[in-house]
Amino acid sequence: MKKFIILMFFCILIAPSWASGKLNVAATVPNMGMLAREIGGNKVNVTVMTPPDRDAHYLEARPSMMAALRRADLVAAVGAELEIGWLPAAIRGANNPRVQTGRTGYFEGAAHIELIETGQAADRSKGDVHPAGNPHFDLDPVKLAKVGHALAQRMASMDTENASYYRQNALEFESKVEERIDRWMEEASADGVLPYHGDANYLFRRLGIPIYDTIEVLPGIPPTASHLRSLVRDLRGKEGIITYIIFQPSRGPEFMSGQLGWPVHRLPAQVPVEAEAKGYFEMIDRWVEALSGN
Amino acid sequence: MFKKNIFEVLSCALILAVAAVCPIRASENRSGFLVSGGDAPVGAGTLFNPEISAILDFTYGYSEGSIGEPQGYELAHCHGHGHDHDHGISEGFALREAELTFAGALDPYFDMMLMMAVTEHDIEIEEGYITARSLPAGLGMKVGKFMSDAGYINKQHPHDWLFVDQPWVNEYLLGDHGLTELGVQLSWMPRTASYTKFGVEILEGETEGVANYVGEKDHQIVTVLPENTGKDDYSPDRNRWRADMGFEDVKSPRLYTGFLKWGPDIGFDHAVQLGLWGGFGRAFQAEDAHSSGRLETWDGESLFGGVDIVYKYNGQGAMDYGNLILQGEYMYRQLDLNFKNRNFSDFSTLEILDEKDQIWQQDGLYLQGVYGFAPRWNAGLRFDVLGLTNRSYDEADRLDDDPSMRYTGQVSFAPTEFSRFRLQAAYDDPYGEKSGWKFALQYNVSLGVHGAHTF
Repeated sequence: MKKFIILMFFCILIAPSWASGKLNVAATVPNMGMLAREIGGNKVNVTVMTPPDRDAHYLEARPSMMAALRRADLVAAVGAELEIGWLPAAIRGANNPRVQTGRTGYFEGAAHIELIETGQAADRSKGDVHPAGNPHFDLDPVKLAKVGHALAQRMASMDTENASYYRQNALEFESKVEERIDRWMEEASADGVLPYHGDANYLFRRLGIPIYDTIEVLPGIPPTASHLRSLVRDLRGKEGIITYIIFQPSRGPEFMSGQLGWPVHRLPAQVPVEAEAKGYFEMIDRWVEALSGN
Repeated sequence: MFKKNIFEVLSCALILAVAAVCPIRASENRSGFLVSGGDAPVGAGTLFNPEISAILDFTYGYSEGSIGEPQGYELAHCHGHGHDHDHGISEGFALREAELTFAGALDPYFDMMLMMAVTEHDIEIEEGYITARSLPAGLGMKVGKFMSDAGYINKQHPHDWLFVDQPWVNEYLLGDHGLTELGVQLSWMPRTASYTKFGVEILEGETEGVANYVGEKDHQIVTVLPENTGKDDYSPDRNRWRADMGFEDVKSPRLYTGFLKWGPDIGFDHAVQLGLWGGFGRAFQAEDAHSSGRLETWDGESLFGGVDIVYKYNGQGAMDYGNLILQGEYMYRQLDLNFKNRNFSDFSTLEILDEKDQIWQQDGLYLQGVYGFAPRWNAGLRFDVLGLTNRSYDEADRLDDDPSMRYTGQVSFAPTEFSRFRLQAAYDDPYGEKSGWKFALQYNVSLGVHGAHTF
């Protein structure tokens, strides 16, 4: 028994899966994992730390995240405090200097684009506000492609040998987005949208669809009866679409749909864990379809 | 006394205010909020360097009559050793503590964390340490005053507990503040597929339950006779009785611990972590000085350890709905002590009335489960057993008490991540003592930066 335990222990220590010479990337959410896979291609190993069906804002640091960060050369995060509930703790627990904030191995997409909804008062009586801006840029393909260039630049600085390969991949991802963006903008023709939370605001803005309000009272505060009544009062007579993310409660959206007679759509905000660009574009297609007319 | 405290509080607040304001100017250009494109995180937090938060923990306790406590765990009864800040539940309203936290990166090499517990009368540094940011090969280092990583719940601050109070086994075998020590922690994480962390801690050694320390000290009493015996004036006769207690100074470090944590990756829905730890104390010294002049002392060493397991299920619901946390810990301590019961035979000599080598062996465990039964709500049950093995002594006599039990239930409502209300009911059943119900209400709020949750 004792020998067996020692042997097991030894196996754990020398498990060789990482010894491939590739850049190890730990992505905080599946969309960032997809982007890292697109840009890094076969030169990187990507580990995604959270699943698509959870709100990455409400998770806590887990042992598997710390193990992934221990192995990582680069952490690819959405940023702007989206992962603030767990990423700082997980990095602290990972004993890895490479991915500490301020190091080359720490990458936040939000640092490389212009954020929307910035400059709100840092006052939590307004809910779980993030004065730095809305972090959910990853549902806007154009912004994501821009972040792709920054990520390529970062990978290139860490692995100069393959620098042009990463840059080329970023260009390719961008041109794939450009091929589709006109069609998306044309098809998404809803008069307006009433989402549960601001998860898709970047996409709505990109597609030129007005955002009426949110079903939740304030960021992070679930809907109350009086808030829903006032929404019904304000929006009656207008046309629009109701959306919510798969991990959000359906009661408020379904109630609003019943009251206003608007279609309601339950949609993903993240691609499947192993997805590539194709999976991401399919997800955007689903959103566009939902937003195509009232 | 009161004035002096006010002054201390004010001067401390001033120093902190200066410390909080100064770095902001120095780091304006480092803020990710103002400059984009770097490798710094974007967020409001970077505008506040250090990150500051304040936590308030307010309780109301009600117990049915005077309920007894498990006996035979504390060696010395703290005579007049007013313990200002404890983490138990007191009767009536209590502001258990306000925690002030300052944290941030010191420089490219170290992070710093300072957590102060402020009570109505006192300020105590609960934790204050630096951690290395740039050690290679999976090594980590922590230096300062910190809560040990031995066990699972030990390193959690009271506001992280899932119940109003901590498990009995932590409170009685380690002490009210658990294993919180000055010292150095070294850790190592091999680059493995599963989470594996080894650590050793080299500590000062002053934890009540396993490393109580007295050092060289005199036992002294003063007796006063009402009458003057033969002197010219009319003052009463005063006699000072003083003798060495017999403890030797033991150089720090006096306490060592080691731990291993292992968490295999079992998918996104589930997480599990196993822990194994142990330690020994080179010195365990306790004294109980009676006003009658009698002195009891215990002098020796300690050996202790435990195992812990935590399982978490992440339900897919919003705001922790459907989440389940199961955790359990077992802990054991052994104290090898020489017990002496002495009294003065003259003004400067202690005579031994009783001397005995004692081996104290005590253990306990707790099991608890908490389930998010609705968004923002959770309910939990906890079972405490103390003294499955229970070899303890009452002075020179050996006690062989049966285990003591406690059954606790709680319901919590957290309107947001920044506030939580909790109602708790517990049935205490200490061996040989009066059992009964205890109730507690708690609110626990945090103001300031959005803290990250460790596993």
